[in-house]
This record gives sequence, C-alpha cells and structure tokens, in this order.
Amino acid sequence: MAFDIDKFTETSVRVPWDDLDLEKFRDHPLPDSTLRTLRYMTDVEYHTVCYTRDLLTTPSHKEADMSAFMTMWNREEFWHGEALSTVLGIHGITVDFDEVKASRLKLGWKDRLDPIKQSIAGKIVGNDFVAVHMAWGAANELSAIAAYNRMAELEKDPTLAELLRRIAKQEARHVAFYTSQARERLAKSKKAQVIARFALGKFWAPVGSSIMERVEVKHVMNHLMSGPDGRKAARRIDSSISSMPGLTGLTIVEDSLNALGIAA
Amino acid sequence: MTTTGDVGQRTRFDVREFARTARGNHRAELQLAEYTDAPLSAESLHAVRYLGRLESATMEHLRNLLVTATHKDARVTAFLVTWAFEKFWIADALDAVLQANGSPKAQDVVEGKPRKTRSEHSDRRGPIRRAVSAIRLGVPIIAVHVTTGLVDEWITRAAYVRLAAASKSAALASTVSMILDVKQRHADFFEDEALARLTGSRRAVKLTRNALLKAAWPIGAVDRSAEDRTFFESYVFGGDAGIASAAAIELQVAALPGLDTTIGAAVAQKLLP
Repeated sequence: MAFDIDKFTETSVRVPWDDLDLEKFRDHPLPDSTLRTLRYMTDVEYHTVCYTRDLLTTPSHKEADMSAFMTMWNREEFWHGEALSTVLGIHGITVDFDEVKASRLKLGWKDRLDPIKQSIAGKIVGNDFVAVHMAWGAANELSAIAAYNRMAELEKDPTLAELLRRIAKQEARHVAFYTSQARERLAKSKKAQVIARFALGKFWAPVGSSIMERVEVKHVMNHLMSGPDGRKAARRIDSSISSMPGLTGLTIVEDSLNALGIAA
Repeated sequence: MTTTGDVGQRTRFDVREFARTARGNHRAELQLAEYTDAPLSAESLHAVRYLGRLESATMEHLRNLLVTATHKDARVTAFLVTWAFEKFWIADALDAVLQANGSPKAQDVVEGKPRKTRSEHSDRRGPIRRAVSAIRLGVPIIAVHVTTGLVDEWITRAAYVRLAAASKSAALASTVSMILDVKQRHADFFEDEALARLTGSRRAVKLTRNALLKAAWPIGAVDRSAEDRTFFESYVFGGDAGIASAAAIELQVAALPGLDTTIGAAVAQKLLP
C-alpha cells in the first residue's frame, strides 16, 4: 500500500515519556551493559541528521514527499535521542550537545569526503541512486526496530521496555516509508536493483558502525543480536530486505553479525 | 548542560526548550472561511506562493549547510531539526491560504526558469563543490551560515510585513502575525550565534564579509524562478516604503560585529528592484 505522507506529517509527534516513571531508576538503576547499549543508541539517534546530509546530496531532496518525510523523520529521531539521554541522565551519564559534537569531530577526514563521494554517485546514476538510499534506509530502520524490540525483551524492566516499544513503533512508520519508496523505485529500474544489491551487499554495516568504535558495535550486537533469538531477529530483517525487487538472497544482517564474530 | 549559558550579558538561546515547544500544524487557526467573501488579490497570492516556496526549501538549505563543518556542531544541528519542522508547517499554512483562495499549493504550480546572474555563481554551487571548499574553510563557516540565516530572517520578515499591509485582509494579517511569531525564535537563535561567532574570530568575520558581498537573497533565491524573484524585489522593496525597508536592513547588517556600511550597502543593493 502506498505510504500516506500527509497522514504521517499530521500525526508525527515527539515520542512521549512524561507519563513514565523514569525517576525510579535513581533507586533501581539499570545494569551497566544496558546503559552502554543505550548510550550507543542515543548517539545513533542524535546523528540521524548526518545521514540526512548524505541522503540530501542526491536528487531526492527535490521531491516534496521526500522533503516532508525527512523533516518529520529527523525530528522524531532527535526526540528518540532526547528520550534515551533522559534515561541516561537519571543514571548520571550526561549526553549533552557538546559531547555529541566531540564524537562528530572524531570522525575526521573520511567523513568529510563522504558527502562528496555520495554526491558524485548521486549525479552518475540520477534517481536510481535514491532507490539505493531508500533500500539502505529500510535496512537501517528495520534493524533499529529489531534492536529496540530485542532490548525491550531482554531488559525485564517494564518502564524501559515501554519506552523502547514506543520508539520502535515510530521506527515502524519510518520502515513503511523507506520500504514503499524502495520497492516502487527498485521495481521501475533494473539498474537501480543492480546498484542497490551491490551497495548493500558490499557496504552495509549495522547502524552506528561509521560513528562508533568497533568495540562498542560489538558490545551492542553481542548484547542484542547474539544467540538463537538474536539470529532469528536478524533473519527476519534479512527476509524483509531480500523480498524487495532485485535483492533476493541478500543476508546482509547475518553476514555482518558473522563478520563481527557474534555467536549464533 | 550546554544548552543555556551566558553570551556576554545575554542568556544563550535554549535549544532544548525551543525543540520542546516547537509549533506544528496551524490549520485550525487560519480563519480560512474568511477568504470566501474576501478573497486575496492575484498579487497577494503570488507573494504567498513565493514565500511558501522559500519556506519549504529547508531540505535544500540543510544540505548546503550539512556538507560543511556546520554538521559537526550538535547544538546547531539540533536547532536546525526543529527549525525545519516549524518551517514545514509555516509552508503548510501558506498552502492552506492558497487553497482557500482557489489556488493550487505552492509546489503544485510549475516554476519558471531561474535567473542566471554571473555574480551569483557561488550560491549556485552544488553539494560537491560546497563540500570541497568547506574542507578548507573549517569551523568558521558556521559563522557564515548563522549570519546569512539572520539576514534572511530580516528580509523575509520585511516581506511578510509588506504582504500583511498590502493584502488588506484581516485573516491574512492574523496568519502573518502567527508566522512572524514562530520565526522570531529562528531569528533569535541566528542572532545569538552570529554575535558570538563574529565576535570571537577574525577568520569568521572575513568569511562572512565575503559571503555577504556576493549572496543572493532571500536564501535559496538562486533556485527559484527569475520571474518570482523580480516580482519579490519590486513587491517588497519597490517604492519609498520598500527603499526604507531595505535601508533598515542595511543598518542592521552594518551593526553586526566586524561588518560595516560597505557590507550593509552590498546587501541592501541586492534587495532593490
């Protein structure tokens, strides 16, 4: 079904948490490994705007629906960062804008060249490249949902679980947008399918890989995606991705877990 | 926290508070039924449509900022996320006004060809050339972005004020007043940042002076049609009131730290028809 962009923009809200008793974490703090994973997720959410930049350098920004979606998407993700940083703050872990800035500064030279590289690719393959971005975005959002839902399952605390489920619910609408865009654009162009398959197969890595230390990526993947249940979640993402036109047989999430040495 | 604090005698703009109190959908307060008996003139609708196009071009503008060092500053990007959200809904309000007057939405009207002026070459640079030159410029480029953001707010404010007065419509005047209220916080942020960054760095001043000498207004104008730009110049800055309005902006620009009458005059000159 086509994604209803007007409905999405009209109903886009910042994720609510005022009704959740987060203060209780002062007496019943979450375990350190959970906080470490939450910290990772917070950084990823705050960095969303950086991914937007790469997306924007393609011809996609000229399309009104795309602009509308990206405006709301950016804001929702920013508020996911705010929600998670509130939880961290109650545990005495401060994630202020200056700290996020410091981790962006650490990205260094490679990151500066990224938009240049992506723009050139965007120019070469025109609108087909948007299809690649949409498929890429779908993979990222699908794995974000899986991560939040897995964490909600693993973490027995009902308050945190509720917050994570609310976030996952918003991510589900992002998946719907990316998936419907990707399907439509891939179906229209064989070339887009070939490029998407190549880009996802060769370059995709778990969200946050480009901004966090490898040891942190491994911690989060071990925490959330290891063991039989983790693998099951990974396969579910892969089966959604590989059901898109031209992407049959791709197992990018499972491959990336194997590459990181995460136990099945 | 780093969201608030002192900038000299001033309290620093609170980005988190701004995000928390962002203003979205305005449709309920637009008094759209009023236009049935008192429709807007073709000229007013033209101005509404052009302003709508400018307000909705946030993603193009964001791209130009984010391929530079500006994307590294999490406080600035946090502001821009909410800024884009508020401008989206301003554009939506303007679309609602257009539709209530029997006109299509701003984006649904075919736009004419852009103006090709040699001196506006740098504003027309694509993301690749912006990204390449920004590597050399580094962090002081943020001063350029916040200062041009501020000047742009002054210019569009003049346009909205002119629109409200010329339209002689109480409904539109009320919508414009709501829009200016939303935009005031954008101007506050840009002003705060521009004052701090221009005061702190000679390199920031130099880059900003160069940028303002060449800039086309409002921001994003180079992507808009030549016809709309010509209309905007004479509609907002034509006649005695328009000249006075441009002169007021000239003084505001000249008063910014490190800038002077040369820069103020260059900006004002570009506004006039």
